[in-house]
Amino acid sequence: MPKNFKKMNFYERLDIGPTAASFEIRHAYNAACQMYTSGSLVSYSFFSQREREEILLLIEEAYQTLINEQTRKQYRAELVRRGELAEEDTAATHKKPIDVFAFSSGHRSGVIVAKHDALKEKIAESETINAILQKKNIGGADLKQIRQELGIELEHIAKLTKIRVDYLKHIEADAAASLPAPVFLKGFLKSYLKCLCLEPVEEISGRYLERLARSGGG
Amino acid sequence: MAFVWPIGGGKGGSGKSFLTSSLGRLSAQAGKKTLIIDLDLGAANLHTLVGVPYPEKGFSDFLQKRIPLLEDTVIKTSYENLFLISGARDNFDIANLPYAQKMKTLRAIARLDYDRILLDLGAGTSFNTLDFFLISQNGIFVTTPEPTSIENVYRLIRSLYFRLIRYCFTAQEYKALGEEIENKFGQGATNRPDTMMNALEVIHPQRYEKLQDELGSFRFKLIVNQLRRYDNASLGTQISTMVGKHLGLHLEFAGNVAYDDHVHDAICQQVFFVDRYPYTKTAMDLKELSRQIVEHTGQQMSLRNM
Repeated sequence: MPKNFKKMNFYERLDIGPTAASFEIRHAYNAACQMYTSGSLVSYSFFSQREREEILLLIEEAYQTLINEQTRKQYRAELVRRGELAEEDTAATHKKPIDVFAFSSGHRSGVIVAKHDALKEKIAESETINAILQKKNIGGADLKQIRQELGIELEHIAKLTKIRVDYLKHIEADAAASLPAPVFLKGFLKSYLKCLCLEPVEEISGRYLERLARSGGG
Repeated sequence: MAFVWPIGGGKGGSGKSFLTSSLGRLSAQAGKKTLIIDLDLGAANLHTLVGVPYPEKGFSDFLQKRIPLLEDTVIKTSYENLFLISGARDNFDIANLPYAQKMKTLRAIARLDYDRILLDLGAGTSFNTLDFFLISQNGIFVTTPEPTSIENVYRLIRSLYFRLIRYCFTAQEYKALGEEIENKFGQGATNRPDTMMNALEVIHPQRYEKLQDELGSFRFKLIVNQLRRYDNASLGTQISTMVGKHLGLHLEFAGNVAYDDHVHDAICQQVFFVDRYPYTKTAMDLKELSRQIVEHTGQQMSLRNM
């Protein structure tokens, strides 16, 4: 059997927690009035007229006490003294505003920067890559070889550049005609090169495009 | 063991049989072997709702011992996975089921092998209805958003409450207890659940504990049926809060079912509303509700072995 309504504390009467803010108290009071007022479908036939009036008075008492900061403080102190409420529950925990710029700052880009340095080192050390970069014509197959030498998956590039994997595959297959429109090729290619830290981007992409134009692919 | 859902609600005309048949149909459609039993003894009509106008056997055959096993009274409907035990063709005194036969029935229902069993119960608060309702802890109350209907739901809940108290005592003990409470707590004390429980706590602390456990183990559900557009949609939540706060019973609000004139048409044509008008708000509401029954994976509370 639940507690008699009269024996409930003011928070229980209104169905709210001890740290409820004033608007929550007001809201709970409105909801309770709706439920217990005469003519309410819910409580009609659940209580006799006298019981209902008693309950409404008790709710009014709870609301008037809790909505006033001064009396609420006194009531809280009384509950703590009676041992019904722990000390730490009484202080309303004010939520601090969240810094809009706080999330996703620093961490992610930091990882990429660290990777950049590692990649550049790898490129400098690798003979195969340097040999390819020395070539006058650079084709899709060359790019693919460099990428595989660096051990980077296409999916990884796709994730960073937001370019679809099949478009990246078209670039590596010299199939520029399969791209959505020719104008995309240059931009996609640059993103791809930047992702692999191949420098200078402008120059290498120029060599690729030139070769493609000569072979009639573009 | 099957999941048993008794569907009751106190007031007649609130849509218990309609909801039973619709939920049964939807549960069968979802691939659960579903049995619906018409326990509205003396006023059976579920067979008409599920397209079996002339059931060749039924519940009364079991009671009259013409068919010894309850599972042999099951009729296959024309819908896959949907089975019926009809209450039609019964004797005219069936509404007053003797105690021994009731116990026999309850035990037989508990032994049936189906995925989901829905019991369509009658209106009112007769002992038959109460005992069938308490066979499982998953009873479903049906009400409409009208004061008369809600009044009867409260009445049914209180009756169930007293029935549970009554189970804890023998007839003689109960009578003696009643007198003792009247003497100690004044006239009318046995008529209210809260004073009754307070009295029990003092007089029989051990049984009081047991009773508390039992009351806490119920997981009732509430469906608000025939909700018109201008009705208060949060009525169900409020009723559930009310019952929880003042009676300490767990009554979960399961959902609203919108009112639709076409329900009348579907019943007159003797077809399932959810088949005839599948894209109405009402049908959507029913589907949403049936999901709770179909996907119920929690443990089936023990069937009361009375």
